[in-house]
Amino acid sequence: MSTFDWLVLSSTLIFIIGYGAWRTRGAGATLDSYLLGDRDASWWGVGLSIIATQASAITFLSTPGQAYDDGMRFIQFYFGLPLAMVLIALFAVPIYHRLRVFTAYEYLEGRFDRRTRTLAALLFLVQRGLSNGLSLYAPALVLSAILGWNINLTVWLLGGIMIAYTVAGGTRAVMVTQQGQVAVIFTGMVVAGYLLVHYLPPEVGFKEALQVAGHQGKLNLVDFTFDPTDRYNFWSGMTGGLFLALSYFGTDQSQVQRYLAGRSITQSRLGLLMNGLVKVPMQFGILLIGVLLFVFYQFSPSPLTFNRPVHDRVARSAEYGPQLRTLEAEHETLFLARRQATTQLVEALHSDDPAQLAAAQTHLQATNAATRGLRQQAQELLKTAVPSAEAKDTDYVFLTFVLNYLPQGLVGLLIAVVLSAAMGSAAAGLNALASTTVIDLYRPSRPHADEAHNVQASRWAAIGWGVLGIGFATFAARLENLIQAVNILGSLFYGTILGIFMVAFFLKRVGGKAVFWSAVVAQVVVLLLFWKTDIGYLWFNIIGSVIVVGLSLLLAILLPAEPASQAPTAADQPAV
Amino acid sequence: MATIPESEKPPLLPSWRAWYWLVLAALTAEVAFFYYLTRAFAA
Repeated sequence: MSTFDWLVLSSTLIFIIGYGAWRTRGAGATLDSYLLGDRDASWWGVGLSIIATQASAITFLSTPGQAYDDGMRFIQFYFGLPLAMVLIALFAVPIYHRLRVFTAYEYLEGRFDRRTRTLAALLFLVQRGLSNGLSLYAPALVLSAILGWNINLTVWLLGGIMIAYTVAGGTRAVMVTQQGQVAVIFTGMVVAGYLLVHYLPPEVGFKEALQVAGHQGKLNLVDFTFDPTDRYNFWSGMTGGLFLALSYFGTDQSQVQRYLAGRSITQSRLGLLMNGLVKVPMQFGILLIGVLLFVFYQFSPSPLTFNRPVHDRVARSAEYGPQLRTLEAEHETLFLARRQATTQLVEALHSDDPAQLAAAQTHLQATNAATRGLRQQAQELLKTAVPSAEAKDTDYVFLTFVLNYLPQGLVGLLIAVVLSAAMGSAAAGLNALASTTVIDLYRPSRPHADEAHNVQASRWAAIGWGVLGIGFATFAARLENLIQAVNILGSLFYGTILGIFMVAFFLKRVGGKAVFWSAVVAQVVVLLLFWKTDIGYLWFNIIGSVIVVGLSLLLAILLPAEPASQAPTAADQPAV
Repeated sequence: MATIPESEKPPLLPSWRAWYWLVLAALTAEVAFFYYLTRAFAA
């Protein structure tokens, strides 16, 4: 990175965080102020915060690489999200707002009992405590690999800044900084997309780029074929994706806290619906950048592997170096053939001659298949030479392009995008971990502690979870694909938590004892299934919640009747 | 079911139901557009 890039990067981050600190100076005298920003956020503040919390650095590192490698079918994973936003806005928001709770789990004590609330809070703390660490580790890993930064220093520096402003300003600081972070993220991604098209040869416009991608199977956006073994199709998105979104946005405190901070039910609902309208087009845009990268590398030489540090290590090895160089020589030759085949395809597209088009497409498919084969061989070689290395290099694709092709200044801006996303998402997680620890575990055990003491406890909890998260991140295993790792981790616990809330909202006659033991059984079953079977992780959201709901109904019949709860349920909500 | 209080009524559209249908209609339009792209640019 050049000095100018460093200047852009540091001034962007200093401005966002400095502005956030200035805007939120003196905040946090009461729990309402510290944990929910005085419940004063407008709909767009809520909406931007929800978007920034979900869009972690992993989103911007892995997703374009995923599209580069596998096409755009990952978009289907988000199809259930808008429906989930509607259901949460309809049922959950009014209940949480009327009770003026600090956390989602607080509602469960009034609806069931203390131990069900504690169980749900603990499940959240375990999964969010671990995934928050991963969301810091992911950008640090990639940036350290590509830029040669020290990974531990990167994680601790990034984490240290994030902890500082979260602890100092609480929820309001998190939300204000997220607004600046979202602005940088959108600007950076739009600029990157524009330049990708601009860098294509003059005869290849946006339409031709889409045609080349489509003919290579990269515009595989929707597949209506029902196949339970296929991770991403329309049906898995509308079922597994819906349940995951319901769990994440409806019961995960890192998201619930965003809309609890809304000024009214109206502002919170609109914030959620804004996310429902924006999320799918936003993911489409990020995936499109990956597809444009694929087209760009049809005309420009791509490295055999994007994981440069591992490549360099193997290239220096006496045993594996010559083999790698042979593969690279073949890859360079193949690139010339690939570029020629792609140019022929573009000419054929302009000619409107079906025979010429078919021949060009066959030629290009053959060269791309050969390239994929070579990349596969290279990955196997790297894995043999360095067993601890990450096998897939898709997380490195986008940043490699940024560093090699973007002009000075924009490199700094795009690195700021990654770091902003990392901090915005992790700060909301940290904020939620601190809230849940104090509100659901600490405060019930010290009912006479005053407001100032609880605010102070929240600050210490944020520091504790921040340090724990960074510690975990430092020792995190290098998993095959970072975004999937985070989603898998969430899905192991989300199903059970969602099941508890579904019973709470919709099955008024089920009591605490029935739902508690059902949740324990569901969690054990999900963990056993994860350990013993190869079921796709999205299905655990459905399995966990179905077991909790089904077993709760059964136990409610078998167990002695429990006293009726006075807490509101979905049936108590006004008509829409 | 109780009636909706005045302060909880939505802006711009006549009811929350209209807002929910707007979000779902946008999703339907997006899926239709993606299906068109998948078909139009496929081999």
